[in-house]
Parts: sequence; structure tokens; C-alpha cells
Amino acid sequence: MTAVALSDVSPRGARQRRRALARAALLVAPALTLVIVLIVVPAVLSMGGTFFSEGRFSLVNYREFFGSPLSVQNLWFTIGVTLVSLVLLLGIGLAIALYLRFSHSRLVAAIQILALFPLFVPSIVASFALIRFLGPGGWVPTLLRAVGVTAYQTPYLHASGAVIGLVWQELPMIVLMLMAGLAQVSNRAIEAARDCGAGSATVFVHIIFPTILRSVVVACCIGFLDIIGSFTVPYILGPAAPQMMSIYMQRSFSELHRAATAETQAAVTFAVCVVVGAIYTACVFRDSVDNAELAQ
Amino acid sequence: MANRMERSNTDISAGGISRRLFLKGTAAGAVGSIALGGRSVIAYADAQTINIVSDGDTNVTDWWTNTLKPQFEAANPGYSLNIVITRADGGNDVVAERVVAAKKTDTDPKVDYFEEFDPRRVPGSAESGAFMALDESKIPNLALTSKAGRETPYIIPYRGSQVLLAYDSAKVPNVPKTWPDLVAWIKANPGQFIYGRPDKGGSGKNFVVRAIHEANGRDPSLFRVDNFNADDAKKRLAPAWAILNDLQPSLYDKGAYPAGNNPTLQLYASGTVAMVSAWSDMALQGISQGVLPPTTKLVQLTDLGFCGGYAWSSIPSMTSKTDGVYKLADFMLTPEIQTRMIADFGAFPGIEWKHLPPDLEAKYKDVIADSVPSFPDGGDWTAALNDGWYSNVATTLARG
Repeated sequence: MTAVALSDVSPRGARQRRRALARAALLVAPALTLVIVLIVVPAVLSMGGTFFSEGRFSLVNYREFFGSPLSVQNLWFTIGVTLVSLVLLLGIGLAIALYLRFSHSRLVAAIQILALFPLFVPSIVASFALIRFLGPGGWVPTLLRAVGVTAYQTPYLHASGAVIGLVWQELPMIVLMLMAGLAQVSNRAIEAARDCGAGSATVFVHIIFPTILRSVVVACCIGFLDIIGSFTVPYILGPAAPQMMSIYMQRSFSELHRAATAETQAAVTFAVCVVVGAIYTACVFRDSVDNAELAQ
Repeated sequence: MANRMERSNTDISAGGISRRLFLKGTAAGAVGSIALGGRSVIAYADAQTINIVSDGDTNVTDWWTNTLKPQFEAANPGYSLNIVITRADGGNDVVAERVVAAKKTDTDPKVDYFEEFDPRRVPGSAESGAFMALDESKIPNLALTSKAGRETPYIIPYRGSQVLLAYDSAKVPNVPKTWPDLVAWIKANPGQFIYGRPDKGGSGKNFVVRAIHEANGRDPSLFRVDNFNADDAKKRLAPAWAILNDLQPSLYDKGAYPAGNNPTLQLYASGTVAMVSAWSDMALQGISQGVLPPTTKLVQLTDLGFCGGYAWSSIPSMTSKTDGVYKLADFMLTPEIQTRMIADFGAFPGIEWKHLPPDLEAKYKDVIADSVPSFPDGGDWTAALNDGWYSNVATTLARG
């Protein structure tokens, strides 16, 4: 509706456009105010504070962060765990979403419930359940031992433990987003391609994937931000060192009482997230512009 | 010694709500509410309400709400307890700051009793007069507490716990009782021992503290709230890191440190390791609930025990309900309630063992230490310990 008005250049159109903009501004004002007052202002103040030391502008906080092998290692570890989890999530999520979209099996409902189940499990419960499942003396090693496999190395308290936990936690969201994307794939296009003799791989590469590309990017961005900010799962399942940035920040802040250090760690993490956030925003923005063009 | 995170009996895992205790509590609660229903509304309105704040873990607050409250109210008609849970690490510190502020402006802080708060945690709070100095004339049963627990006149030592070794007697026939023996045992049984991360729970922290004590002539008095100095700390802690690094290859999974008291006990309970460091109350509760193997035994080192300490209650001086809070404090220190506390959640008593039934003392003789060493809680020493452990022991970086 507003899209029509926006492209009209006549005087009447201009008036309509202003009114539409005013209405839009009014609609977003409460939420925007809340975000500015409660998130943007404190974040800017906190970030700004990291560039000062003893009342003067200084990069000493950042020199300290990047000068400490421990901080840098934690940062790379965080990014590494996040990316590995994301790749696994995308692989598993895509397989499940494709199955749910195209299968006619009676198992679909059951698989869907199973795939969405983690959505309703608090991360602390999931973490402890995974210890019971994968940890030493858990189900997996016990079953493996029963069939004669003794070389099991538990992922509990290793980076792999954090990755497994995070993949389990994030899976429903990724599946939901990919399924939303897959819903846009036209059956007619697929049937047409099949009539021309295209195989499954060709259909996926040339028809399905281009259609859901945006969903994939959005799912990756949201998944990335979720995982990089996760605390409980890597805290319980991950190793003591290196640590995810969230745990490192908490430790610096409440155990070591170094607020400036924790803020700097947060600022560096935020800088990483901003890149991903920018990709996400660009994607969503292009999406709405495209929709606006379609609406004309 | 009252860092909630550290001495929390269930810490983040929060898995420790005793079902037995809970059921018992619910039953007690039900009886309590029937009794309440029978009282006239006027009598209820007349009851003097004592506002208590507790940031203790679930086992503590459950016990206060479901066990202590009905008992106290039955024994002291006309009083009613309002237990406010401020749980989060240091939740009561924030309330205490409010109490100090209320004292300055001469207003009612609306808090009458701290289940657990040591005024030393908020510097200046005792000097400001915000907390009441207590003695036997106000709380007669204070006479039953040990001198060691009454470090200042503002605190009531009402329960305690200490870190010790929990081990499976089926796997460990000759348990080590000194630090050198423990080190030898760990090295002789690779993968069978683990302690938790020091910043995530006191069972791990106090194992690290014991190594620090070992490296410094077993003299806990070298580490006090008021004697921290960064250079000195570095010198004193470095040999402890050497001790712990030396142990690391022989620990479970070559040093896979669990994230807290409960995850550490869980590794033990699953039979993965044969020995861990643990809080006495958590281990005793685990044994009585059958969560830990029945062959579990507890032992304290004899050359120098692991650290432990008391949970101290304190009373804001501005409270208008002095009679009620004195009664409550006195009630807490009666041998009956203390016995109940030991049985229900494995706490060490705040009063001396000699005032308790002799069979109880006999039952716990292995875990009762002659002295309970301590290490400055919170503050600079603990920060140096945590930071040092992460950068020297846990790290996978080349150590410099």
C-alpha cells in the first residue's frame, strides 16, 4: 500500500506519501523508542567507554585484548565453534527440511515433531541430558561397549560437546526457516523440470536452491548470532579452555571484577556480529524492496 | 566464605532439589496451611511478619520455606515468616546495600533477617551501624556456637560446610589422607580423579586453594582479605600452578574440568572417576538420596583440610521486630533444628558438635575436621586465583 504511494511523484502523491510515512513512523515509534532507550543508548555508552582509559581517549583496552593470547584464542575459538555448528546445522537442517517438504511418507509428522522438539527444551535441561547421553558412562558409550567398541572419546568437556549441544538447540529454528523458504518453491516448476528430464540434483541446484537462497542466508545469520551469544550449552558441555566469548565475558565481569575488560570483549564480539547483522539486514531489506516492486 | 555461587549446594545445574525434602516439605506445607485455615483471619492479620531474605540455593530456600517456617510458626504463635528469595550470586549483597542506605536516611529497610549475609561483604556496612551487634543476652543459644564461627559480633554462624574428598571405597581401598599421598594416588591412578573449574564452584576452587596452601608451607594465614598485593600473589601462586600442571596429565580425560559442583559429582556418580573433591553437604545429601554410589565414603585431609566455612545470618539494626528476630535466631541454633538441618540437607552444624546427639557426631566423624581453613572469598585473592588458573593450568596455549 505504502509502496504504491512511494513511487507516485504528483503533488497529491506527495501528500499521500507524507501521510503514509507519518503513519508508519507512528507505528514503529513505541518499539523504536524502547530499543533506543534500553539497548542502543546503553550499548553505545558501554562501547564508547572502551575507548577511554582514565578519562582520556586511548586504545589500551584493545591493545590489552589483542595482546593477550588467551583473549585472541577465545575469540577464534568462538568464531570456529560458531561456524562449524552452522555448517552442520545447515547440512542437517536442509536435509530435514527437504524431506519434510517433499516426502509423502507417513513418518513426516513424527519427524517434524522430533525436529521441532528441542524448541521446547530449556538449554540447561538439554545440556544435562546430553551429558547423560554422550558423556562417559552415558548411553552412547554403554551401547558402543556392548557391541565391542571401546575407543569412544566422549565429546563432553571438549569443543565437540559444545558443537553437538548447539546444533541440537538451534536445529528447530533453522528447520523452520528453511521450510518457510521451501514453501515458496513451486511444485509446477519442479514438475516442469522433471518433464524435461532433470534429475534430483539438477532440480535442487537450479530450481530449489536459488528459490531458498535468501532463507538460507537469513537462517545462517540468525543462527550465527544465536550461537555466538549462547552461554549455557558451551558452559556446561564445552571445555574449560578455550572458552566461548560469552563465558569469558561473564568470568571477566563477575569473577575478576574487570568491567572494562568485559566491555572490550563484548565490543569485539559485537564487531563480529555487526558484519553478520549487516548481511542479514541487506538481505531482508532487498527482500522488502523486491516485494515492494512486486506489489506495483 | 559465603560466596553463593561457590557454596551453593546445587549451583547452576540446579539439579539438587531433594525430592525427598520436597515431598516432606509439601506435606509439612499442607499441614501448615490446614492449621492456617483454622485460624481466625484477625489472628492472622495480627501475626508479626518477619521478612527474611535468602540468596541460598534451592535446597536451602526450600528447607526454610517448607520445613523451618511451619516449625517456627507452630512453636512461636503470633509470628509469621515471609521468606523472600533473592537468589543469584550475591543477591543479598544488593539487599544489604539497600539496608545500609536505609540506615543513612533513617528509613525502614523492610528486611528483618538475612538468612546468609556477612556484613564484611559490603565494606562499611558494619561500621555504619546498619547491622546489629549480637551476643548471648539477645540470643542465648549463641553460647552453643564455636568461637571460630564468631569472627565478628554481627554474624550468627548457623550452618557450615567444607570441601572434602568423596571416593568410591570399592575402587579405593587405601584412601590418601595427606596431600602428598593424594598426589601419589592421582598419579598412580590416571584418569580417576577430577576437580571442577575454580570459578564455577567451591569444590573445585578449594582444591586449587589446597594446592596454593601446599605451595606456601600449608599456612592459610598468608592469605587474608586485607593483605593482597599483585606481585606477592604472583610469587605465591606460581608454585601452585606448577603442582596443578604436574597433576593435569593424570586427571580425568587429561584435565577435562567440569563446570561446577554438580557436574563434578555427576562424573563421580556415573563411575567415570573414583574420587573427586566435593562439598560436604552436597556429598552427604547425595549419599542419603542414593544419587551417589552406596560405597561412597568421605574423607578430609589430615595434614591440612580443604577450605570450608559458615553461612552467617545477620540482622539489620533498623528492624522494628527485634523480639521476633531474636527468637528466630535462637530457634535456628537449638540442637533440634540443627539436627534436623544436618539430616535434611547435610549441612554442618553452626553449634558445636558436643551439643548435638553423640550418635550424630559418630556418624560424621570422618568428615569433621579439627580446623576449617579459609581463603578470602570474592575479592582480589579469588580473582587472582581464577585468572591464574585459567591462564596457567586450564589453558591449551604454550605456558610461559
